[in-house]
Amino acid sequence: MKLKSGSISSNDLMFAVFCFLQATILRTGYIAGITRQDSWAMAVTGLIVTLPIVAIYASLLQKFPGKNLIEINDIIYGSILGKVVSALYLFFFLSLAALNSRDMGNFIVYFSMPNTPISVIILISLIGCAYCIHKGIENLIYLSTLLFIIAMGSLAINVVLGLKDVRLEFLKPFFQLEPMKYIQGTVSVAAVPMGEILAFTMITPMLGKDQKVAKPLFLGLILSAASMAVIMLRDILTLGPLVSAVSLPAFESVRYISLAEPLTRMESIYAVVLILLLVFKITVLLYAFVLGLTQMLSQNKQLQSNHTIASAPFKAEQSLRQTSSPPLTLVSAALLFFYSLFVFESVMENMDWGATVAPFFSLTFELLLPAVSLLVVFLRQIGRSQEVKG
Amino acid sequence: MKRKNKKAVLSIYFSCKSRIAALLLCILMSLCLSACWSQRELNKLAIVVGAGLDVGDQPDSVKLTAQVVKASEIGAKSASQGAGAGNKAYVNISNTDMSVLSLIRGISHMHNRRLYFSHNKVLIFSSDLAKQNMAEGLDAFTRDHESRMDIFLLVSRNQASEILKEEVEMEKVPALHISGMMENQKTNSETAIITIRDFAIATLSGYTAPVAPMIELYETEGKNKVKLEGTAVFKQGKMIGELDKIQTRGMLWVTDKAQDGTLTVNTQWGQVTLEFTHSKSSLKPVKTKDGTIRMKLTVHEGGTVQNNNTTEDMSRLEKVEMLKKLMEQTIRSDIEQALEQARTLSADVFGFGEAIHRDYPKEWETMKDDWDRLFPQIELDIQVNVELHSTGILVKPVIPGGAK
Repeated sequence: MKLKSGSISSNDLMFAVFCFLQATILRTGYIAGITRQDSWAMAVTGLIVTLPIVAIYASLLQKFPGKNLIEINDIIYGSILGKVVSALYLFFFLSLAALNSRDMGNFIVYFSMPNTPISVIILISLIGCAYCIHKGIENLIYLSTLLFIIAMGSLAINVVLGLKDVRLEFLKPFFQLEPMKYIQGTVSVAAVPMGEILAFTMITPMLGKDQKVAKPLFLGLILSAASMAVIMLRDILTLGPLVSAVSLPAFESVRYISLAEPLTRMESIYAVVLILLLVFKITVLLYAFVLGLTQMLSQNKQLQSNHTIASAPFKAEQSLRQTSSPPLTLVSAALLFFYSLFVFESVMENMDWGATVAPFFSLTFELLLPAVSLLVVFLRQIGRSQEVKG
Repeated sequence: MKRKNKKAVLSIYFSCKSRIAALLLCILMSLCLSACWSQRELNKLAIVVGAGLDVGDQPDSVKLTAQVVKASEIGAKSASQGAGAGNKAYVNISNTDMSVLSLIRGISHMHNRRLYFSHNKVLIFSSDLAKQNMAEGLDAFTRDHESRMDIFLLVSRNQASEILKEEVEMEKVPALHISGMMENQKTNSETAIITIRDFAIATLSGYTAPVAPMIELYETEGKNKVKLEGTAVFKQGKMIGELDKIQTRGMLWVTDKAQDGTLTVNTQWGQVTLEFTHSKSSLKPVKTKDGTIRMKLTVHEGGTVQNNNTTEDMSRLEKVEMLKKLMEQTIRSDIEQALEQARTLSADVFGFGEAIHRDYPKEWETMKDDWDRLFPQIELDIQVNVELHSTGILVKPVIPGGAK
């Protein structure tokens, strides 16, 4: 099951980035709590802040074509320090996966199945995720195009049907809050949905050899920011001051749709799309973790080869380099399952974390570590430019 | 050599795969076949279509009356045929407790079915309860995931439980009658149509006084019926006063909620009824030279002559001008009456505060803390543009006379 480079296309990756981010964008209550009626603008400022962060990832990936984040760490920091840094990233991926599993569990339990234990819901979803990875992550990435169509379709339906309830005056007054709030909102948007794109640095080696890494990441990000702005605008325009009072504004504004008798209760569409996207996101994160773990545990054999996938001859020890269905999937899924069960005691705790600690927690991994990596690359003069010289 | 190796790897892979598949299947089947945890059978649910909240008979308690449909009776052809007067298509379930949620649970001591609020259409507060506290009921009905925010909110002059006992004729269930009535109120523009969402948006603003339509019982031909009349005005979650029918219409002109309706004007020859359609109004705060803020209201109105009780020919242009003037005066007087009542109550039912907040946020910062005192002093400039489009099918009055 060694994965050939070029097994996913640039478009697939772009849609995958979109679906990955959309799963969080559909639950953006925490932003509305900070910046109220100006939240839509945070999609734009958040994008502006995230673009340089993604540029760091892209330049790292371009320095070491065909390598993923964990392999790059080994090259940059050496095998021991590299493992420590990789372990930090893996912790981040696993935590994100656990947080998202927990969110999905909370959503299903609270809104549709109050008597079902959350563990059962998370377990069943994780079995699905593990199965997905077992069958090969590239298949899921292909599916992202379809998921993109579904997500956009549901968004379009919900926006068009909600137009009747729109009240433009809810947008005013523009930008009257304290400047700190806007900074907080921007950082939150940049850190929580957008910077999570980091997980895709584990997947980009699947792209074709000649394909540029940066383009799909940036395009996916811009698409998500656009959809975030549309969703935020719709929520603000339909809910007004309620937007910062309800826990899931997107859900609540869809709930309000009522066109004649038959076109009501559209929230089921929203719920289905949200769950699909969340499972997608958890799968990508779990894959990033599992692949990283597999590579970390088997790196003694690999040493620090600078070969790209395409140029590397087939060797047994290299079969683990970029596998589409790495081993340890079930074990990792089990780990994730227990982690997600004790990650938060309550929704309130989760919200408090999201509003206060989460941006700093995320930015440590999303901005600080990659930035240091890039700096080390420049200082040590390694990577592609050196190869060309040599 | 290589091929052998590959085969071995493949066979291990497949056996592994089928084992995992079998294991997954076992787990999934044991989970799925043991039936759902959160399943609710239709015949175990009491589907609530209307809810009424009253002051309870013990101190600090609240009484909930839930109107539950009896599905079997809904299908029955008519009351006279099989069932007779005894078999109503609904049951009113009441209970009293300290909080709404505990009393809903308390109902399980008396009934075999669980109340299910997802299809609730109306929520009625008795004015006695509304004058004390709206928070308890409102919170319970917005926080719970089962209930929805698009249900109609009403305040009853009588007990809410009495309203839900209305003797309906056209419909089988009083709550459905009331919700149908609310949907029809667009055509008269004399009732504020308020859902829980609208009410919550107004309460969350903190400065706008929320309103809700009022409903009351009246007796006709020995039967208790309900009708909608007037508007309840709230402040800080408590009902503080009322607007009558004309004042309500005045408020609806200002808030751009008036759509269709009729106005009867008195001419020197008798009464003429004008129908207005597609009313449109805009409310804007304006800053005057001396720094004070005034509100500017522009109402655009299109109307037709719908009823001419006089013998005059109202299609003549000078008569049309006169009717336009009268219509404008009526609208203006509606608005002034509403404004006067709002000033008396010191309740910003029009959302002046929010409008100032939107357009003059800096000035609003200085005003908002003193809004209760400042609101009655805000001046309203009213401009009404009336167009009369037609005189209906008739041009001349049916009984001719008057000016030749």
